[in-house]
Amino acid sequence: MLSVEALKIRYGEVEAVRRVDLTVDSGEIIALVGANGAGKSSTLGAVAGLVPAASGKVVFDGADITGLAPEAIARKGVALVPEGRRIFASLTVADNLRLGGAVHQPAAEAKLREEEMLELFPILRRYHRVKGGNLSGGEQQMLAIARALMGKPRMILLDEPSLGLAPQLIDTVFDLIAELRRNGLTILLVEQNVALALEIADRAVVLANGEVVLSGTAKELASSDLVRQAYLGA
Amino acid sequence: MVAQQIINAVSLGGVYALLALGLAIVFSIVGLINFAHGELMTLSGYALLASLVLGFPFPVAVLVAVSCGALAAVAMERIAFRPMRGASVTSLLLTSFAVSSLLKVVFQNGISARPQAVAMPGWMTGAFSFGDFTIGVGPSISIVVSALALIALEVFLRRSVTGTAMRAAAEDFDVVRLMGIPASRIIATAFLLSGLLAGLAAMLWVAQRASVDPLMGFTPVLKAFIAAVVGGLGSLPGAVAGGFLLGIIEVLLQATLPPAIAPYRDAIVLSGVIAVLLLRPQGLIPAVRVQRS
Repeated sequence: MLSVEALKIRYGEVEAVRRVDLTVDSGEIIALVGANGAGKSSTLGAVAGLVPAASGKVVFDGADITGLAPEAIARKGVALVPEGRRIFASLTVADNLRLGGAVHQPAAEAKLREEEMLELFPILRRYHRVKGGNLSGGEQQMLAIARALMGKPRMILLDEPSLGLAPQLIDTVFDLIAELRRNGLTILLVEQNVALALEIADRAVVLANGEVVLSGTAKELASSDLVRQAYLGA
Repeated sequence: MVAQQIINAVSLGGVYALLALGLAIVFSIVGLINFAHGELMTLSGYALLASLVLGFPFPVAVLVAVSCGALAAVAMERIAFRPMRGASVTSLLLTSFAVSSLLKVVFQNGISARPQAVAMPGWMTGAFSFGDFTIGVGPSISIVVSALALIALEVFLRRSVTGTAMRAAAEDFDVVRLMGIPASRIIATAFLLSGLLAGLAAMLWVAQRASVDPLMGFTPVLKAFIAAVVGGLGSLPGAVAGGFLLGIIEVLLQATLPPAIAPYRDAIVLSGVIAVLLLRPQGLIPAVRVQRS
């Protein structure tokens, strides 16, 4: 469904991503793991169109989407839940959701979709009229995911959904991710918490210094010496 | 007398508020302080003059003039600012200076450097009388128009999807684009609104003075810029508060200062601005903006 080929990203003189190749098949969860600064978020940014690729290609559903504007990529059905959630703090939960589904469907359908989201995230129904900035970190993460789902994406890119959340909230969020996959959503997950990521993913790609150092099924990686020593602390 | 001064103060404040709001809307979204905002006002003034000379009825002429301001703002973005998208703040600022100078020269050479009289309808200069009070029609209309414009803008920003997206874009533009909402639509709407507000302000300004000249927009927009900074640059409620505050203080000083000190009015006002910014560097009502590395 998605393939990233020989992606290179530069910020000025700094090469944040030297070469990343990966593919995500329909209905899969692929985890992109690695240390801080390995190039995970930059890779997601390039897929979503926020970060320009210096070279290489991003192909979604057979179409080259490299260099398209973020709004054009979003309309093709790829939704990014950015790192740090980045919900609109001064807007209500309702308005955050409304923007998420604004351009993808007629207003009546968006209303139905919002109702589905409120079923999936009851907490958002409770805080429907509350400003996003007043929610807790976990609630904001739910809102960020719900907002991305409002546009009925076919693929979702999750950037560090566990960041800054309490352990039991992390479990809730990951249960939710598993449920989304069961419903047929394709997911590319960036996560620093490697153990957690390998638990949920089908396959994983390990990045270090902007390059793929290892890739395989989640099970293979969880038992590989490199991953165990470098990321799982075993 | 006091009532008249209050009306004058609110009416001037309303004009500043409309202009400051136009500056703030554009700044909140594209980070540009549009120094050519005054020229939008001047252009609307000339459009009013032209429409009246062509014999349009007054309401039609006003409609044409305000639309010209709005369309000119959109054209300005399309021609001058869009190619500069993503450029540094300094480059944007210089671009807006260039647009401003260019338009001023066009007005001076293409029309005239001298003020042109605008034939405003007679009833505009009339006055209502309530017992001892006399209240000018012009300032009253100005207050009503400003109030209606502010309410309409508020409703647009709260209720419509594009308005909501604009509020969101002021906070985090990239994420708005991730929702599939086109950046160009948001930016064009911001300029459209700022031009609309500049056009309305121009009508109110011309109504009080009955003339247009190439530098007409300079002073009010300079004041509006001060108002926007005092209010909190990029904050819409701040721009409105700053505009009214500045208008009220100006009229108040005008009315109360002894003649010997009167020439120092602007110096006193600007000292007040400095004091406000020393105490509240972010302005009276700071803008919400996500800080991110």
